[in-house]
Amino acid sequence: MRRWANRLLLVALAAAFLYPLAWMLSASLQPEGAALGRPPFYLPDGLHFENYPVAAARMGRIHRLVWNTTLLTAACILGQLLCCSLAGYAFARLRFAGRDALFLLVLATMMLPPQVLAIPQFLLFRRLGLVDTFWPLILPTVLGGAPFFIFLFRQYFLSIPQELVEAARVDGCRAWGVYWRIMLPLARPVIGTVAIFTFLATWNDFWAPLIYLNSEENQTLALALASFNQSYRVAVEWLMAGTSMVLAPCLLVYFLFQKVFLRGVRLSGAKG
Amino acid sequence: MAALLPLFLPLLAPPTAGDPPREPAETVLRVLVHERWFAGWKYLQATAREFEAAHPGVRVEVLSSAGATGGAEKVKLVLAGGLPLDVTWIDVTEFAAWLREDVLLDLQPFFDADPTWRREDYFEPILQGMTGPDGNLYGLPSTFTPYVIYVNQTILRRAGVAPPRPDWTWDDLLAKCRATTRDLDGDGAPDQFGISLTQWMQALAPWIWQNGGRFLDENGRCALDEPEAVEAVEFLIRLLHEEKVASDDATFQNQLATGLFQAGRTAFYGPVGFWETYRFQHIPTEAEGGFDWDVVPLPRRRQAATSVALRFYVVPKVSRHPQLAYEFVRALAGDTMQRGLAAIGNGVPGLKRAAFSSAFLDPERPPASEQVFLDVLPTARFLPVTVDWTEIEKATQAVLEEAILLGRIPAREACERAAAIADRALARTEDLQRRPFVGAGWFSAAQLAGGLAVLALAAALLGRRRPRLARREARAAWLFLAPWAIGLGAFLLGPALVSALLSLSEWSPIQDLGRARWMGLDQYRRLLADGTFHDSLRVTFGYAALAVPLQLLTALGLALAANGAFRGAGALRTIFYLPTVISPVILGALWRQLLEPWLKDPATVLPAFVVMGLWTTGAQMLVFLAGLQAVDPRLHEAARVDGAGPLRRLWHVTLPALGPVVLLNLVVGLLNAFQLFAQPFVMTQGGPGNASRFLALYLYEQGFRFLRMGYASTLAWVLFGAVFVLTLAVLRGSRRFVHYAGAGR
Repeated sequence: MRRWANRLLLVALAAAFLYPLAWMLSASLQPEGAALGRPPFYLPDGLHFENYPVAAARMGRIHRLVWNTTLLTAACILGQLLCCSLAGYAFARLRFAGRDALFLLVLATMMLPPQVLAIPQFLLFRRLGLVDTFWPLILPTVLGGAPFFIFLFRQYFLSIPQELVEAARVDGCRAWGVYWRIMLPLARPVIGTVAIFTFLATWNDFWAPLIYLNSEENQTLALALASFNQSYRVAVEWLMAGTSMVLAPCLLVYFLFQKVFLRGVRLSGAKG
Repeated sequence: MAALLPLFLPLLAPPTAGDPPREPAETVLRVLVHERWFAGWKYLQATAREFEAAHPGVRVEVLSSAGATGGAEKVKLVLAGGLPLDVTWIDVTEFAAWLREDVLLDLQPFFDADPTWRREDYFEPILQGMTGPDGNLYGLPSTFTPYVIYVNQTILRRAGVAPPRPDWTWDDLLAKCRATTRDLDGDGAPDQFGISLTQWMQALAPWIWQNGGRFLDENGRCALDEPEAVEAVEFLIRLLHEEKVASDDATFQNQLATGLFQAGRTAFYGPVGFWETYRFQHIPTEAEGGFDWDVVPLPRRRQAATSVALRFYVVPKVSRHPQLAYEFVRALAGDTMQRGLAAIGNGVPGLKRAAFSSAFLDPERPPASEQVFLDVLPTARFLPVTVDWTEIEKATQAVLEEAILLGRIPAREACERAAAIADRALARTEDLQRRPFVGAGWFSAAQLAGGLAVLALAAALLGRRRPRLARREARAAWLFLAPWAIGLGAFLLGPALVSALLSLSEWSPIQDLGRARWMGLDQYRRLLADGTFHDSLRVTFGYAALAVPLQLLTALGLALAANGAFRGAGALRTIFYLPTVISPVILGALWRQLLEPWLKDPATVLPAFVVMGLWTTGAQMLVFLAGLQAVDPRLHEAARVDGAGPLRRLWHVTLPALGPVVLLNLVVGLLNAFQLFAQPFVMTQGGPGNASRFLALYLYEQGFRFLRMGYASTLAWVLFGAVFVLTLAVLRGSRRFVHYAGAGR
């Protein structure tokens, strides 16, 4: 009896959390202009799948958008993995003066509101002549922009047994060898976690592309989506059809890798 | 370390704003007007191709603006980026700010030199909206709409009320509203209203003008406290709160979400523009079981008056091809585009022959009386362009809503306070012109100082005397840290210093940095007198106090629920995380529909945001899950053997083991709460009053709407200060409660 009550509770909770997605799908299948002002539990009159090709066509050259977004996401993921794991390794396993204070500094940079940095960064890239390229979207994220990921890598590296490191040392590995041959291969769960987090953040990011990308050939999916949201006429059905399409890869990636995801978040850095 | 230098070197070079490395052989005209999804996009493309055919060697590159979530900001950012832009469009409410910043090209000389220009082709009252204080024309209209009233004819007919005549008055409106307000379900509260009243500045202005009021007096002071204006506000308060014949659902931020008129529950709706016909076109007619609707002019009092929503095409001063840009503005306001805009029902075309064509006056398409939009034009007026009303509108919104929307303070008090706030803003703008320039070099120096500070830190830490082995390890460590260190200097510390300098200056982002003016600590002193800032502090702290603990509990609950090894646990984790995957902009659109009644009431709008936040605790849940899986199962086993039930095990075993995880989530939760931006931006724009004007939202408005990047930076530093102090307090306070099991070295 109690088990059933528990199950029921869980199902209700799950339904509540699925609701936004369900609403989005329902709205994406509404006839044109019908999704506004309708109660939120409204079922579509018929299934207007044509919203999907229409939305794709209105977003612009879809191949270009997908290519740009993929390129950008891939660059950010690779960059983050490399830079954050390097820093995480140094903080976890190398001894040097000022290490703990510097690590505190890493965490402290989390507190700088993005609003403080946005405009000066924009001015910097304007001076460098890099506005309307992908560099302003990649460099600040990859270099120094991800204290939380450095933290994740550090905690994970702390938990790797010292014996392994000693063994590698005996085999002639120096710091780089230990990092590359021992640490990274063992850190697969964190790599997965950081990759997924970065994927979601970059794929969906709207503000940075809005600020930096202007030319037609540099647009991203999230930016193209946003143009559906016009001042007085929100084309809800197209917006939602477009969103569903842009979201699909995110859901897929998350679903496929969610197991890795959990193992990567290791918080107490106990060394065996 | 020397390898880091090249990254900072370009900063030393003189600014090369907007000089492209090579000039292409053809002339490129860069145009940023409509959004790409927009139904009129094909007419825009056609206009561009026609223009290219008529001007050999010219290519028109049409950029897409980014929609309402950033459309107005997009143009500003293109200009701020020093990118070439030849033609763009602006809203009439932005005109004053653009004039103030002196970034628009005066097109009058081009008109004067153009033998094909015929002023009478356009509606004269509309051209007034793009005329500067110098009497010169700065642009040509896209589409416009005067404010009118939408009428539910079916309700009027059933109540036996005569439809309004074109010259109807405030008294007629009141009488008809009384006759149509009904309590249909007998619960004692009306559910069919006389009028659904819109309340933003453009909608409010006609009432004041109709009563003989004005916005500025002859000395340039705000005249909202004159008796005519006060009386107009009193009339609206009377409709809403004394007669209770009006509904307040149609504030600007939730006008799209509400459907009182669409639902057939109000006889009148307005003052509002043509854009609503798009939304109402799907309403079934009375014969089909819905209702018939039409539009009428606004009711009048001492005189007739209405305001006009308007977008017009302009040429920024940075254009490198002014003559061609001018000609393209003419093309955009020409036949192909204007007839196209009329055909898709975008608004009233500014070109007369397009407006009088069947494309606009389509007898097949509701409303039947489209003619009304043209008939009221002689009474159309604009707010004075010598003053940036968008800034004043935001600053006075809270006071006016307190009176009109909420009925808490009398009209006189609200109008006096609003006028005082407006006068302060006017004085500030004047004062700014007297301030000295900062000099762009100082900003470069600040950026450079950030980079040098990191270099100096690295050098100092490396230079210490140490045994050889330790030195080698330290060098290796710094090589590993290099990418982060470069980022720290170039993208965090440098920009932070620039931002600190900005917070002591005032600068409009669409201007050259050399035009930044030195304000010193006056910017921080201004915080003391800024009522909106005080409200936003209250809102931000109030939200954090509620949201952070509740989110923590929810995330923990979800993690506990999904932690078991039962079938479907994996699916549950996925589902709980799902809302986090959806972009906040999209989620906002959904929640706006769901929580709409809550968002209207200042007492419930914050709780609504808190509830919403519970849906997006996925990331925190993951962190808890990771923590839970690290709890040693032997501890649980031992507790079970000792006879502890599930609750006691949770309290005595699980929670203590989770200490560091709770702390991490608490800090991250605090950061997120204080930086909340996207949701209020999409859902409420800070309203009602200032009840959801979060600090991050307010600083964004200051920077990008009002073009006060200096004060925005000041606010950003206050935000940082608040987060910093709170985080330190949490870390300090936690020492007594959090125990790190086996924490490393």
